[in-house]
Amino acid sequence: MADQPPNARNGKRPKTALVLWGLSVAFAALATVFGLNLWGYSNPLYPIALVDRAFLSTDTNRRSYADLVRAKEDLSDFDCYACHDKGKPPTLRFDDHQNLIIPREHSDIVMGHGEHGRNNNCFNCHNENNLELLQTRDGRVLKFQDSPQLCGSCHGPTYEDWEVGAHGRISGYWDRKLGPFKRQDCVNCHDPHSPTFQGRKPAPGPHPLHVLPPKAPPAASD
Amino acid sequence: MPPLDSFSTQSEPAPAAGMTRRSFLRTSAVLTTGLAALATSLRPLLELDDYTSVERFMQKYYKEMTPDDMARVLKRIENEVQKQYGIRPHVRDLRPMDGVQFVYALNLTRCIGCRKCVHACVAENNQSRNPEIQYIRVLRMPHGSLDIEKAVHDYAPESVPEKGHFYMPVQCQQCKNPPCVKVCPVHATWQETDGITVIDYDWCIGCRYCEAACPYWARHFNFTQPSIPKDRLNPEMAYLGNRPRRQGVMEKCHFCIQRTRAGRYPACVEVCPAGARKFGNVLDPTSEVAYILRTKRVFIQLKEELGTSPRFFYYFDV
Repeated sequence: MADQPPNARNGKRPKTALVLWGLSVAFAALATVFGLNLWGYSNPLYPIALVDRAFLSTDTNRRSYADLVRAKEDLSDFDCYACHDKGKPPTLRFDDHQNLIIPREHSDIVMGHGEHGRNNNCFNCHNENNLELLQTRDGRVLKFQDSPQLCGSCHGPTYEDWEVGAHGRISGYWDRKLGPFKRQDCVNCHDPHSPTFQGRKPAPGPHPLHVLPPKAPPAASD
Repeated sequence: MPPLDSFSTQSEPAPAAGMTRRSFLRTSAVLTTGLAALATSLRPLLELDDYTSVERFMQKYYKEMTPDDMARVLKRIENEVQKQYGIRPHVRDLRPMDGVQFVYALNLTRCIGCRKCVHACVAENNQSRNPEIQYIRVLRMPHGSLDIEKAVHDYAPESVPEKGHFYMPVQCQQCKNPPCVKVCPVHATWQETDGITVIDYDWCIGCRYCEAACPYWARHFNFTQPSIPKDRLNPEMAYLGNRPRRQGVMEKCHFCIQRTRAGRYPACVEVCPAGARKFGNVLDPTSEVAYILRTKRVFIQLKEELGTSPRFFYYFDV
């Protein structure tokens, strides 16, 4: 330190200039960056289409008879005696393999209840003496609105689960003190004639954060 | 800046009466440029309003806030959301209920992999649409194994379920022994008495330790300002729940706090078309989750061996 001049001011001058120059370069660089908006993402995110609102719908697969009654909708499909005669149970026809032949008037029905294909007698569930009612194997006669009891007469364990809310859809309030809850009926999800769940299109999967640029085609190799 | 320096380093001192024309022009030109550069470089400070406010900066820790403090904070959040989205939200601070322990049960026999839960969750919880943040990830695995190494999450067939596969949705498991809470250096995340692990988005510093600690990929980071279309904003909000997050904070599934603490089912339960998702208070013996844990073949808590003890149970029918 002895070789430094007693007055350090002269010695500091080039240093101050250096700092000031450095600062001006830094600020100018920052100004360029902000001015040209180079900050942030040089590659903007690629657009992702919003998901179709149909995937957000909480509607059930099907509408049950009870739903139609509640919504006061057209129930003419359930007016059996517009075509059938009262007091005259319709006859069922079977082909050589004991498969039910579905009459043309009921061509919308697909019979597929049970994988064995043997549960194909309409009157296992429908009441032949009054087609607008249902019947269980143990002889109870039920209205269309009370169909879960009919299902439960064969599917006992599932019915037990359903009663607690462990099988099937449930919505509303988990805290029964705070509000109502709704348990969907069997036929809100399952078609009684063909109860297996049908496949559906899945909602779009996750998108990657960035799309990688397409790979360059591999150079022709020998 | 060089011009300032030029005052002092000039070899000839400027005349006492004033400056020469040359030095005046040079000094003012350089000074103007310098000031303009300085101003432009400070421009981001003008946008600071979007990032923080004095109120938010001075805000107390969630657990130390008095009801008055909280009322002020909720008001601030409502104002901010209204300013940003043009919709007046309803923000509440819902506390855990007494005698309630939430448990989630998911039926792997029933799940068909349709991903409706993923999108219902995004819509309910105001998650960013681009870049995407999704709390639920549906894994597709081949039958006969539970090897997550074989899982695929970007399957896109024409129709689900696919033959030979089953689907396992994974989301925050609301562990009883949560590793994410242990690593948080600022206590911005903690477990509440009803079992939900929550995040205070105003306290989070965005270090992402929790993301690294979570074995279920349940925590998601807002790398950018989240983008939510105005017409898709859910105005029913909770402080620890689905109020809009900002850039640089963590978020994750909170069992739809804004719904469940008001007694309702979470959005993913409501939307599941197969009825595979079950939710409720496990301390209530009549609840469906208590019934499931009692009677069903509850086979795993995911990664049980880690000792995290999830409140999320996967089970099979039969």
